Amino acid sequence: MSGALERRPGPRRRPALGYDERNAAILVFPVVAVLLVVAAYPILYSFWVSLHDIVLTRPLRRPFVGFDNYLRIFDDERFWLAVSRTTVYTVVTVAVTTLLAVLVALLLNEAFPGQRILSALLLVPWATPSVVNGLMWKWIYDPTYGLLNALLVQLGLLERYRAWLGDPDLTLLLIANAAVWKQMPLAALLLIVTMKAIPDDLYRAAKVDGANVFQRFIHVTLPALRPGLMLVLVYETMISIRHFDLFLIMTQGGPGDASFTLSWLIYVETFRSLRFGTGAAMSYVLAMATFLLSWALIRWLGKRI
Amino acid sequence: MATITCERITKRYGGVVAVDALDLTIRHGEFMVLLGPSGCGKTTTLNMIAGLEEISEGRLLFDDKDVTWQPPHKREVAMVFQSYALYPNKTVRENIAFPLQLRRTPREEITRAVTEVAEQLEIGHLLDRRPSQLSGGQRQRVALGRAIVRKPSVFLMDEPLSNLDATLRLSMRSLIKHLHHRLRATFVYVTHDQAEAMTLADRIAVMKGGLVQQLDTPEGIYARPANTFVAAFLGSPQINLVQGEIAPDGSFARGAFRLALPPGAAQPGRAVTLGLRPEDVGTLAPGLARLEARVDLVSPLGSETHLEVVAGDDVKLTLRVPKEWRAQEGQVIAVGVDPARLHLFDATTDARL
Amino acid sequence: MAGRPIAPRLGRALLLAVFSALFVLYVAGPVAWLVSSSLQTEAQITAVPPNWLPPELNFGNFDAILNAAERQVTYETRRQGDPATGGFLPSGAANLLPSLWNSLTVGLWVAALNLLLSITAAYAIAVIDFRGRRATLYTVLATRVVPDIALIVPLFLVIRNLGLINTLGALVVTYLAITVPFTIFILISYFEGIPRDLYRAARIDGCGHWRALRHVYLPLSLPALVASLTFAFLTSWNEFVFALVLTQNVAAQTLPIVISGFVMDFTTSFSFVNAAGVIAIIPPVVMAVLFQRYIVSGLTAGAVKG
Repeated sequence: MSGALERRPGPRRRPALGYDERNAAILVFPVVAVLLVVAAYPILYSFWVSLHDIVLTRPLRRPFVGFDNYLRIFDDERFWLAVSRTTVYTVVTVAVTTLLAVLVALLLNEAFPGQRILSALLLVPWATPSVVNGLMWKWIYDPTYGLLNALLVQLGLLERYRAWLGDPDLTLLLIANAAVWKQMPLAALLLIVTMKAIPDDLYRAAKVDGANVFQRFIHVTLPALRPGLMLVLVYETMISIRHFDLFLIMTQGGPGDASFTLSWLIYVETFRSLRFGTGAAMSYVLAMATFLLSWALIRWLGKRI
Repeated sequence: MATITCERITKRYGGVVAVDALDLTIRHGEFMVLLGPSGCGKTTTLNMIAGLEEISEGRLLFDDKDVTWQPPHKREVAMVFQSYALYPNKTVRENIAFPLQLRRTPREEITRAVTEVAEQLEIGHLLDRRPSQLSGGQRQRVALGRAIVRKPSVFLMDEPLSNLDATLRLSMRSLIKHLHHRLRATFVYVTHDQAEAMTLADRIAVMKGGLVQQLDTPEGIYARPANTFVAAFLGSPQINLVQGEIAPDGSFARGAFRLALPPGAAQPGRAVTLGLRPEDVGTLAPGLARLEARVDLVSPLGSETHLEVVAGDDVKLTLRVPKEWRAQEGQVIAVGVDPARLHLFDATTDARL
Repeated sequence: MAGRPIAPRLGRALLLAVFSALFVLYVAGPVAWLVSSSLQTEAQITAVPPNWLPPELNFGNFDAILNAAERQVTYETRRQGDPATGGFLPSGAANLLPSLWNSLTVGLWVAALNLLLSITAAYAIAVIDFRGRRATLYTVLATRVVPDIALIVPLFLVIRNLGLINTLGALVVTYLAITVPFTIFILISYFEGIPRDLYRAARIDGCGHWRALRHVYLPLSLPALVASLTFAFLTSWNEFVFALVLTQNVAAQTLPIVISGFVMDFTTSFSFVNAAGVIAIIPPVVMAVLFQRYIVSGLTAGAVKG
C-alpha cells in the first residue's frame, strides 16, 4: 500500500478493474491463451474448412460452397450406412457397459475380504491404452492361435476354429466387447461413488419395513443411483458414438463395410480421399448429433429414471 | 485509529436487496453488536466491513480513509467465524502464527507473540495439536488467538459462540468481554442471540430486512424499543403484545380487558398495540394499575416463576413473578402494573408512540 | 452377528465368491493371457491347443525389444531360428525403445504443465466472483464438445504453422488441450468443497489470492492434485489418433503409434507384439493402482456435480 493512497481518500467510484477482477484475469489468462490456440482456433478453423470445397489433391482451387458440404452428406449412402453401424455399436456398447457396471458396482460396494484387491484390479482395464486393448482382443479373436477359439473348442461349445473378426455379423459386437472391457470400470467407479452416498438409514428403514434384498435394490438403490446412471449413460454414449481407435486397430472398417462407423467414415474421407471440406462437415454433423443426443438423454432420463 | 463509518451502504444480489442504504458509525474502541434474525443482513454488513463482499453502493470509511474498494487483506481487520475456520493442515501454533508470517514478522517475535497469546487464552498445552484434535471451545480459543495475535484495531466476529454448548458459551462470552477491555479495539459482533447482545454490547444495532430498526445502548433498547419487532426480539420471556384501542377514559381496552395508561399517552379511539414486559408486574400498591387475570399455567423455574394467565376475554399474558408467589392454576389473581413502564405502539406502523 | 443363522451368511459368501471369480476372470483374464503370451516363444504360442501358461519363462521378446537397436535385421537373420530370440524382428522394432522414452517425456510434461495451467484457472473460477466467470467456465468446457477427429486437420495446420510437426512439443500442446478442461472441472469441484470460511479467514489473515491459493487451497487439495496428475499422464500415455497424425518419424513417435504399426504389419510375430503391449501397459497400470485412492476421490469430486 503506497503512502499516497493512505492519505488521500480512495476512489468513490468502482475502479475499472478491482483487485478481484485484476487477479482473476491474470490467473485465467494462461489457460485461455493455450485453449484459444490449440482448441478454439482449430474448432473455428475446421468450421471454415467445412464451408469450402477443399480437396488436397487439388490444392490451389478451394471455392467457398456454403453449406453444400453438409447437404451432400445426407445424399451420401455411405453416411446412412455409417449411421446404422454407429447406432448398433453405440446401443450395444452403452447397454452392456451400463449393465455390467451396475453388477460390478453392487459387488464392490459390499464389504468382504478381497474387496480392496478387486477394486484395484478394476482400474487395470481403465488404465490400458486403447492400442494395447485393440491388439489384446485381436490376439484373443485370432482365427488360428486365439484364446477364444481354443477356449470354446475345449469347452465343446464350438466344433471348428472360426475367423471371428472376419464375420460381418459379429465384427461390431466383438469390437463393442473390447470397448466395454475398457469403459466399464469408469462407469462402475462412478456408480460406486453414488452408492456410497446412499444413507445407511434408508436400508435400515427398508429392512424394518420388511423389504428383501431385491426389493431393497428396486426401491432404495435404484432410485438413489439415478444421477450416477444418468452420468454414465450420457458419458458412455458420447464416448461410443465418436469412438475411433479400436476400429482403426482391429478392423479398419471391415470386413467389407461391417464396421464402417461415422468416425471411420470421417477418417477415410479426410485422410484417404483427402476431401477436407466434406470431412470437416461430417465432423460437425457428428458433433451436433452427439450434443443433441446427450441433451435429449439428460432431459428424457431426468424425467424417467 | 478505528472509527468505522458506513455511508448509505447497500448490498444487492441480483434483484434482492440484502442491506439497504445502511448508515452506521462505529466509534473507536466501541463494542457494537449487530443483532437480528437470520437473513436480516447483519452478516452481509460484517462481510462488507471485512471486504469479503463487494459493496454495491455507498462508501465505507475506516477513520477518514475510504476503504470501499480495498481488498480484505489490506484492511487490517481480524475476524472470528462461527465455524472457527482453522486451517486443518496447520497445527495450533502454525494457525496462530500464520497472520504474522504473512506480514514477514521476524521469527523470534512470532514465537514470543504466539506464546503470549496462548498464555492469555490458556491454550499453551495445545500448540502442537491439529484443529481436528480439539474440542469446539478449544477451537474457538485458537481462532480468537489467531485474531488477536496481530493486535489489529478492528475485530469482526460472526456468531462466534453459536456452535458451542450453553455452558461454554457463557465462559467464552466473558472471555470476549475481557478481551475487549484489555485490547481497547473496535469490536463488531454479529449474533442472533439477544442475551449475548445485551451482555456484550456498548451499543446494539437491531436489524431486520436489511435495515437498522434501532441503534442504542442495550439498556436504551430494552427500556424504549423503537417498534414491536425490537420489543419482541429482546427480552425472555418475550414481551406481551396486545392489540386494542384507547378507550374514552384514556385507558387501554380490548373487549373486557382494561389497563390504565399514563395520562395523555394517546388519543382516545386510536388503534394501538400494548407492550407489557413479563417482569413489569408486582404486588398491588397505590399508584399502580390493577391487572386481574386467571392463572392458566404455572412454570416454577426455581429462581422465579412464570405464569401464563388470561385476562379479560382472550388476552393471554406471560408474567414473571417472584418464586414466593404460590399461584394455583385456575386461581384469579390481581397484580399491579406501573403505567409508566408500559409500551405503546401504533397498530399500523408498529412504531413506538 | 453371532446370533444370526448360518445359512444366509453362507449363501452370501458363496454368492460373493462366485461373482468375485467371474469378475476377476473378466477383468484380469485378457491381460493375463497377454502377459502369458509375451513370455512364450513364437513356437509355443502358435501351438494348438495353446499353452495357457508359458511352459518356461522366456524373456526373449523383452530382450529383443531392449536390444533391438544393436541387431542387424537382414534377410538371413529373419530366416533363421525362433523369432522370439530376436532373429526375426519387425522393421520398426528399433523404434520401440525411443518411443517409450518419447511417451514418458510427453506424459511427464503434460502432467506437470496441465496442473500448472489448471490450478490457477480453477482457483479463479471456483473462488473469485469476477465478471465473465461463467463465460470462462463454459468456454473451457465447450472446447471438449467437438469430437477429436474434427480437430485433427486444423490442429495439424496450427501445429505446422508453429513449426512443431514431428516434435514432442506438438503432442504436449495438443494433449494439454484435451486434459486441461477436464482437470479444471475436477479442481473446481474440489475447491468448491473447501469451506468458504477458510477462504475468508485466509483473506482476513492477510492473504491475497495467490497466497490463499498457495497456503490454503493447494495444501488441502492433495488428492485432487494427484488425481489430476495421474489423469493427465494416462491420457497422454494412451492417446493414439493425434499422435498418429502429428508425428511421422522416430524423433516424436509415441509407444501407441509404434505398437499399432506392429499390429497392422502381418510379418510381425505375435509374441513380440504381445511383449510390446505388456511394456505399454505397465506404467499406466502401476500408476493407476498406486494412486487408486486419489483417482476415486478425484472422480467423486467430479461426479457429485454431474
